[in-house]
Amino acid sequence: MGLQCYFGGTTIQTLKLAAIPASSRFILNPIPKTLVLNSFSRHNYVYCPLRNPFKLLIRALSATAVQTAPATESLDNKVVKPQWKAAIDFKWIRDNKDAVALNIKNRNSNANLELVLELYEKMLAVQKEVERLRGERNAVANKMKGKLEISERQKLIEEGKNLKEGLATLEEDLVKLTDELQLEAQCIPNMTHPNVPIGGEDSSTVRKMAGTPRDFGFPVKDHLQLGKELDLFDFDAAAEVSGSKFYYLKNEAVLLEMALVNWTLSEVMKKGFTPLTTPELVRSSVVEKCGFQPRGDNTQVYSIEGSDQCLIGTAEIPVGGIHMDAILAETQLPLKYVAFSHCFRTEAGAAGAATRGLYRVHQFSKVEMFVLCRPEESESYHEELIKIEEDLFSALGLHYKTFDMASGDLGAPAYRKFDVEAWMPGLGRYGEISSASNCLDYQSRRLGIRYRPSEPTPAPLKKGKGSLAPTQFVHTLNATACAVPRMIVCLLENYQQEDGSVIIPGPLRAFMGGLELITPKST
Amino acid sequence: MKGKLEISERQKLIEEGKNLKEGLATLEEDLVKLTDELQLEAQCIPNMTHPNVPIGGEDSSTVRKMAGTPRDFGFPVKDHLQLGKELDLFDFDAAAEVSGSKFYYLKNEAVLLEMALVNWTLSEVMKKGFTPLTTPELVRSSVVEKCGFQPRGDNTQVYSIEGSDQCLIGTAEIPVGGIHMDAILAETQLPLKYVAFSHCFRTEAGAAGAATRGLYRVHQFSKVEMFVLCRPEESESYHEELIKIEEDLFSALGLHYKTFDMASGDLGAPAYRKFDVEAWMPGLGRYGEISSASNCLDYQSRRLGIRYRPSEPTPAPLKKGKGSLAPTQFVHTLNATACAVPRMIVCLLENYQQEDGSVIIPGPLRAFMGGLELITPKST
Repeated sequence: MGLQCYFGGTTIQTLKLAAIPASSRFILNPIPKTLVLNSFSRHNYVYCPLRNPFKLLIRALSATAVQTAPATESLDNKVVKPQWKAAIDFKWIRDNKDAVALNIKNRNSNANLELVLELYEKMLAVQKEVERLRGERNAVANKMKGKLEISERQKLIEEGKNLKEGLATLEEDLVKLTDELQLEAQCIPNMTHPNVPIGGEDSSTVRKMAGTPRDFGFPVKDHLQLGKELDLFDFDAAAEVSGSKFYYLKNEAVLLEMALVNWTLSEVMKKGFTPLTTPELVRSSVVEKCGFQPRGDNTQVYSIEGSDQCLIGTAEIPVGGIHMDAILAETQLPLKYVAFSHCFRTEAGAAGAATRGLYRVHQFSKVEMFVLCRPEESESYHEELIKIEEDLFSALGLHYKTFDMASGDLGAPAYRKFDVEAWMPGLGRYGEISSASNCLDYQSRRLGIRYRPSEPTPAPLKKGKGSLAPTQFVHTLNATACAVPRMIVCLLENYQQEDGSVIIPGPLRAFMGGLELITPKST
Repeated sequence: MKGKLEISERQKLIEEGKNLKEGLATLEEDLVKLTDELQLEAQCIPNMTHPNVPIGGEDSSTVRKMAGTPRDFGFPVKDHLQLGKELDLFDFDAAAEVSGSKFYYLKNEAVLLEMALVNWTLSEVMKKGFTPLTTPELVRSSVVEKCGFQPRGDNTQVYSIEGSDQCLIGTAEIPVGGIHMDAILAETQLPLKYVAFSHCFRTEAGAAGAATRGLYRVHQFSKVEMFVLCRPEESESYHEELIKIEEDLFSALGLHYKTFDMASGDLGAPAYRKFDVEAWMPGLGRYGEISSASNCLDYQSRRLGIRYRPSEPTPAPLKKGKGSLAPTQFVHTLNATACAVPRMIVCLLENYQQEDGSVIIPGPLRAFMGGLELITPKST
């Protein structure tokens, strides 16, 4: 593994870290007396940089100190401390390890289940030992309360001291084990809905198809050409001012963006969703808790210099964070939000023809739906969300297909994901315009979002006054209601006329002051 | 050395040539250093100042115009934070956890209010012949500097992106100013009048105290900005046009405000003259700045390299030669806030509150809010 550290795409040449071997420095022997953490065969940190040994170093290097890294940073016997803990159900993983292993394989994940199970067993054993030693220490302390011979007391003091030291070491090891277990286990992807097709991108199946490709009868222009002729965007000026994949919208395109956002918000609000605007700078820990990786190679996430903040790539992140570490009342659920925000993505690693014009950009406006609900309801809300999306796209007259995404194409947080691809005649293919995911409790276990059922369980687990039901994790879902640039691509390309003008779909006209047509301007 | 020479003569010349070459190299190096240092120092010289601008600090600014009067409430007035809480319009607490202090979520009618303010403002300013734009919010740091801001100073207002020379914009003035960087426009293209909607990001480093509560001072906000590029002789009249547009917008919303001619000690380096509008915010109990309109003459255009070529050649052309192209000149640039959403929300909530805790929506915005006339407390 090269000793290059990719930091937002810039190679830091001045890091002279000689001694970080690809294998970890954790040595773990069978307990009980001495604990040394074992080296494991993890050789690939690409997909789960949470365990990246460079991460500790990256944190140590504030942005201003990038050029002067410490000459040698010894990370021996030092576990990268997780910034936060996910409430992972290790026992469930252990009890269902075959299903978990198969799921990891089907998703092409590089999570190391064996290591997780191994660490879990060791952690349990150390925990048991710690409890035992604590018991002994308490027994000694009790004995010392009575009347004793001096020599006996001396012996007990000695014993107490040994127990205390042994306990301190074991407790330290327990912390290290717990941290490492946490980091490894966080990489395990969500389970998968039984109906999800197994395989790669090509295995995704079509759930629904609406409309048909329009028959033009004249040569079709792509959105870039239409935009140029109708003076709707400027990519060239943006390339000078900001870089490639940035743009200005001009004239009717601005009205179109506003109309799309206003109309979408209005339609989704009618379905009982609470409208929001959100911060677009968030703490990096919140990004991670939602299942994204701000600091991996080829990260999609822009980070702010000299700060632990990042730009959001989707409103899913700040909305997911609203109820972090909270216990909601069951009566509050479901919580249904529709959020408008700008989104920022580095699109690192995305190149080629599929990146022309508005199809792949670094900054865009998006209206996002987010639901928090009781576990038994998440599947039906997934259906509700995809129906809302399909109704919106049909109302705009788009021709599209809804896909049930295959296991190899789900993000780690998604239990099931429906993507909608709309026909883009200028591109000559279908392009993704939205995505709807059911994340079950993957995000809520990381964000710490629980609810307390109203009725206590019939056989309360704890005796005591009152009968509060134990809390459970909510399920979360997210779905794109409108990703503006791709919608603009669809509308321009599908509604173009032979004379170069573009028809504005009915529902949007009221939001554009009644405008029905975008016409070429006389220059 | 081209002619025929004696060997000794040639040798002498070669020697002389060599000395000259070395001397020249050193001097040319010095010239580059001097030019660079001159440039850095001279960039710090602020723009000249309009003769009518009052000389002095903040307190010397004079009032150009006052519109409306403070409303007489007849009941205890709440500030926007309390109104927002009771009407479930924003969430600062969740945002503090997710992002940090001075961040917020807008909720419910506040979202509709933001959209209405932006839509209405864009629509009104477009009627005055301005071209609507949305802009990149990440720009190269050099563009930020060319507009007269300092991305890397102590207490900079500018967020920078890690591992990149990009920054987040604090105002759409920056990306709009950059559109015609290093260009020569035709005189017939002028004036260019843009109205741009963007999110803006400011670190607000060094700003603390009571004047930072709630929506008054935040790290991220939506803003509609006007930007004009024009011929030098027209910039003063466009300055008047811009401030008039602003004042008409604020009057249409029923706000009580004062327009200040900012004193010399309170202009930013780029501004030749600056008019600030402060609106009455009864919850805060004072006037708060809601907009700023600056005439920058050629300060920004000299940095951004924005020139135009007059259509008619000058009567005595400086250069003889074929054709008679007039020499290029620098345009003048102006910028003015049409709508800074959070501060407008403060104004509207605090001024339009009712005794029963509801808030009236000003007439012009209702059509943009689906006809909504009142924000009422929700039953919980």
